[in-house]
Amino acid sequence: MSSIIADASKPAGEPTPTLAIHPDRPTRRAIRLFIFFSSAMLLTGLVSMFFADLLWRSGWTNSSTILLVLFVILFLFISVGSMNGIYGFILRTFGDSDQITRLGEYQSKSIEAISTAIVFPIYNEEVARVFEGLRATYLSLERTGQLERFDFFILSDSRDADKWVEEERRWCELVRELDALGRIYYRRRIFNEGKKSGNVRDFLSAWGRRYRYFIVFDADSVMRGETVVDLVKLMEAHPHVGLVQTVPALANAESLFGRIQQFANRLYAPVFIAGLNYWAQGFGNYWGHNAIIRTDPFMQYCDLPSLPGRKPFGGQILSHDFVEAALLLKENWQVWFAYELEGSYEECPQDIIENARRDHRWCQGNLQHGMVLFARGLRGISRIHLLLGIFGYLASPLWLLFLITFNWTLWYRQHTGLSVITVRAFTPFLKLSGTEHAFLIFMICMGALFLPKVLALLDLGRDGPRRRAFGGLRRATLSALAETVFSALHAPLQMLWHSKFVVTILRGTGVSWGPQKRIADGIAWSEALRRHWGHTLVGFIWGTLVWRIDHPTFWWFVPVVAGMVLSVPLSVLTSRTSLGGRARSLGWFLTPEETSPPSELDTLRVRMALLERTGAAASGPRDAGITEAVLDPYVNAIHISLLREKQLNPEYVQALAGLGVGRPEVRELAERMLGKGPEAISAQEKILVLSDADVMSWLHRQAWIRSSETLAAWWQSAIRQYAR
Amino acid sequence: MDVSLESALNERDAGAEQTGLIAGRPLEDWNAAYAKVESYFHALRVRNKVLLGRLVIHVLKRAMRRAPQELHRSVAELAAEEMDQVVTDWFAQVLQESPAGADRMLSTRGRLALLLADMPGKWQDQFLRPGPWPDEFVKAMRDAYLRAGPDFQLSKMAPRPLDLGPIATLTQLSQWSYGKMVFIWIAFALVLVAIFVLTHHPFDWDWRHFPF
Repeated sequence: MSSIIADASKPAGEPTPTLAIHPDRPTRRAIRLFIFFSSAMLLTGLVSMFFADLLWRSGWTNSSTILLVLFVILFLFISVGSMNGIYGFILRTFGDSDQITRLGEYQSKSIEAISTAIVFPIYNEEVARVFEGLRATYLSLERTGQLERFDFFILSDSRDADKWVEEERRWCELVRELDALGRIYYRRRIFNEGKKSGNVRDFLSAWGRRYRYFIVFDADSVMRGETVVDLVKLMEAHPHVGLVQTVPALANAESLFGRIQQFANRLYAPVFIAGLNYWAQGFGNYWGHNAIIRTDPFMQYCDLPSLPGRKPFGGQILSHDFVEAALLLKENWQVWFAYELEGSYEECPQDIIENARRDHRWCQGNLQHGMVLFARGLRGISRIHLLLGIFGYLASPLWLLFLITFNWTLWYRQHTGLSVITVRAFTPFLKLSGTEHAFLIFMICMGALFLPKVLALLDLGRDGPRRRAFGGLRRATLSALAETVFSALHAPLQMLWHSKFVVTILRGTGVSWGPQKRIADGIAWSEALRRHWGHTLVGFIWGTLVWRIDHPTFWWFVPVVAGMVLSVPLSVLTSRTSLGGRARSLGWFLTPEETSPPSELDTLRVRMALLERTGAAASGPRDAGITEAVLDPYVNAIHISLLREKQLNPEYVQALAGLGVGRPEVRELAERMLGKGPEAISAQEKILVLSDADVMSWLHRQAWIRSSETLAAWWQSAIRQYAR
Repeated sequence: MDVSLESALNERDAGAEQTGLIAGRPLEDWNAAYAKVESYFHALRVRNKVLLGRLVIHVLKRAMRRAPQELHRSVAELAAEEMDQVVTDWFAQVLQESPAGADRMLSTRGRLALLLADMPGKWQDQFLRPGPWPDEFVKAMRDAYLRAGPDFQLSKMAPRPLDLGPIATLTQLSQWSYGKMVFIWIAFALVLVAIFVLTHHPFDWDWRHFPF
């Protein structure tokens, strides 16, 4: 192992001994892949022929060609989704032995001498939630009796001075409460180049050699202790596996939107992922968190290069996870989905706007994958993963284009007065009128879209304990129907949003989000109006135009325009936690984690409720952090100690010097801050002051020993707070 | 710890003290000094009111000795300085470090030790008390060390070049591991196109009807 790590430190280009181990049964996997995608191609081909026939019958135009091309592309991706559902259902019904948890006995594996790091890369997160999630996992792991094999790392990339100080304070509190000094560590980077992947890389550069594996958590991740131990055992049992991705269950949602997403995830994901695992096998994917990674090959192969060119495609790779998995696969390391392992959780956005904000981030990252799609040496299956990710967002503008083209065709016919005289083609065999032909294609599309949902319900129906965990089949079915109605209304909004994201990203311009205006129970009406007025307008105009062109067609478009027209109330009402709670009390959208909460989520929920009740969960007002770091004797001491520890790492020393630490200007900034208050210096200057241990020590003393007259009113007031 | 104000006041000629003054300074100034020192001990989480009062008086007494000589400086400033001195000296004794010439490391280390030894919870009565102190307390203070991370084991990850050339890859499609599959799927699509073309009489298309 040591020789391998030494290789990781060699500069690129030097010959390195390979770690590669060839995966098992490549032929069988290739056959699976071929069968799976051929099924999707077959379905797409036949339905596309049927659609082309319809276009032919009503008179072929250039628009028909565009419609057909778009239809083929879009339906292919629907087919892939549908096949995931069908194959997954079959596998779950008849058994699937080809999954990593069944490939060999792993439970008896000893992890006695194995060291594993559990890392939490964070960036300006809700600090209390991050640390309580860590606490829940820590306590769960403690109960397994294997805690001493694991170290926890909070890897902060936070740029907000207040968040930084709060993280340090909460870390110290947590460590003291759990008596986990030397078990839970905290590290904040000085610069955050490479964002999350750079953050993990920095951790590996400093401590990677100490750990055979590392498990990546998201800021909102929680994992059961047994699951964490199982992951390590799986890696030990399969030395050719580089990464095992769990399938995190969405949990802890309270708003109606969050609970709908959570329900959909819990109900549909098992079937979909079983299908995905059918064709991916040991060539799976990485979703960025809730996954265990073998440190050596990751360090050796997965340092991401910067892409040539300018943004949005050039520069650092934003969605690093897919590419990292592709690089592991490229070097013959296997990547598996461990979808049978329960006890892996994450949270989801609680409203439509927050969801779109996250999609915007992911959209940019996924589109950038277009640059690596044809990278030499990548496995074909990695290209499929990348392509599916890209089309997850590119599909929206294509759908929009499809609908617009269809409307254009309709308008053109009306405008020119050409009547639609259907001619005979394939359909004499089926004896279909033009309308029946169109309706049949529509129903096939709907079937392909909704079949996986039906199969997921059937799958639920044959599993008693799971069925009860969803509140019974009747409630689950009604909930699935309601979820489908909501999805139908939400989909046009996503289409408009994603189209906008794709266009703005391709143009190199951004979408401004700004802070979100929320009330206690969800999104404010004014906020929803500000975000959705464009959608509403598009819905009204589009609906009116279609109505004027052709009344019967309008009714076909109602699902599309209804979501847009109703976007404001839809956004507001689904963001309501009161409605989420009401739905829960009525038994709607129940998930197993709600009907019988696992202890980890219970711990988290109770602790968060306690913190919220005492007001300890909330971050302080602006500049509360820097004030605390200056005045509070303990927070100041913690902060300075952590800064001084950085002096042990030459890279950090260099980075601190690069930031300007130690220069006389920092003392001047501190002086200005004392005399005029924290608002007298910029956010970047606050970070600089906070990064200088000597200045922070000086500031603490000065703030307490100087006479009040020489201090800004801010400090006088803050000192008085301590007297209470 | 001498907590009686009398001793400080008696050092001066109490009879010469004007009404409304202590150590030659207005009562209001001493009030402000008291508040500041008390705030600092509050910040150190000394919650016991008796202990808190004793500590504040101890500090103020030292300030009172300086007040008549240093008239150009405010009482609060003198008290704060004395507070800083008292605390630093005590840290030096407990942690067995020399206060002379010590930089602010001692203060930082001392405060951190107070926190990690749980002075606010378990040892409030020992804070600023002259020794000897209980062994457990001394050990907790001296062993207190905050580790933000294990020992570094530095290594360097280096990105490997990634040949992005799509054209180069496309021209070598036959070597692509999935080339055969793709070929079959393309062939299937072409068969469908051919069937469609053959069954729909493409040569009868009327190009004049194209909308654009």
